[in-house]
Amino acid sequence: MMTDLEIFKKLSELKQQDISVCLATIIETTGSTPRAAGAKMIICVDGTTYGSVGGGCGENQVRSAALRSTLVTHKPEIIEIDLTDDLGTKGGDVCGGRLRVFIEPL
Amino acid sequence: MKEKIFFGGLMGMHARIVELLEKEESFCLATILGSNRPDIRPGQKAIVHHNGSIEGSLGSSQLDASLGRLGQKALKENKSTVVEMDSGLSVFLNVLSADAQLIICGAGHIAIPLSQFSQQLGFQVTVIDDRSDFANPSRFPDCEIIAEDFAVALRKYPFSPATYVVVITRGHEHDVDCLIEILKRKTVYVGLIGSRRRVRIVLDMLVEKGLSQSRLKDVFTPIGLPIGAESPEEIALSIVSELICVRRKGPAQARALRKAVGIE
Repeated sequence: MMTDLEIFKKLSELKQQDISVCLATIIETTGSTPRAAGAKMIICVDGTTYGSVGGGCGENQVRSAALRSTLVTHKPEIIEIDLTDDLGTKGGDVCGGRLRVFIEPL
Repeated sequence: MKEKIFFGGLMGMHARIVELLEKEESFCLATILGSNRPDIRPGQKAIVHHNGSIEGSLGSSQLDASLGRLGQKALKENKSTVVEMDSGLSVFLNVLSADAQLIICGAGHIAIPLSQFSQQLGFQVTVIDDRSDFANPSRFPDCEIIAEDFAVALRKYPFSPATYVVVITRGHEHDVDCLIEILKRKTVYVGLIGSRRRVRIVLDMLVEKGLSQSRLKDVFTPIGLPIGAESPEEIALSIVSELICVRRKGPAQARALRKAVGIE
């Protein structure tokens, strides 16, 4: 697990190396989700990530939104992730909740 | 103007957040999510302190005052949340907390799994013991190690804004020495291991030395959540479970779990 301090230290370090990064932060959750509001993940332009917004559950969506915001739009955005797939869904996100994630290119 | 410099670069902002996380127990990082004002843009940030003061003005004393109040409320409830404000502002209030520091007094067999588990869970771990063959890097890789008399080491050790202390020394006299020093300081959590008899002896000795009953009530003893732990690893797990409970839910919840099985 990365603490808030470790996340912000890592952000400073990456920016000092002039690496384009994006910060994803869970801002709201409803129902069952793996992580609560405030959980953060750093996504680097090469796809490397630090921290977590909930493991497999929805992290791929966060990753692609992060790359879009860093490389294409250069603007922050909010994405909604639905983890309410039916139990039978193959590889489904079945935690049962929904989350909103703020994505900001830094 | 300080604010302008502050907003001048996110690098400055990150450095400031790191600096605050190293000295404050908690503060609130406000991030603008949406705005109807052209001068306030999504992604813009401000910091709100416990006293309601703000770093990084929104450019309006009315908005600042209202952000200060909302930030204080989030800090008080220790809950990160989204709020709506005037001018169509939508703001994420993120309560940021200092890293939890764990001081383990006593480098015996429980200290090894305890240091490993707690490090994985995000604690910065320091191990103190007066025996240098126990307080030794070979036993505690990646921990800060102090091989010195317990009282001397604790007296000069800088406690962080969020310090947890676990007392698991090899003898009740050492427990007493440690607790005298620890209870003078501000801590989030203090736990003491021992059988009921040993714990009673230690607490009685501390009362004799003039410590107040009310301060001694803050000590979690016997230590750990009641999961029936027996082996050193299991006991370490029960202790870290209690640390997590205090960190995430507060000491009242950890007390309630103990009370549920008759530990007062």
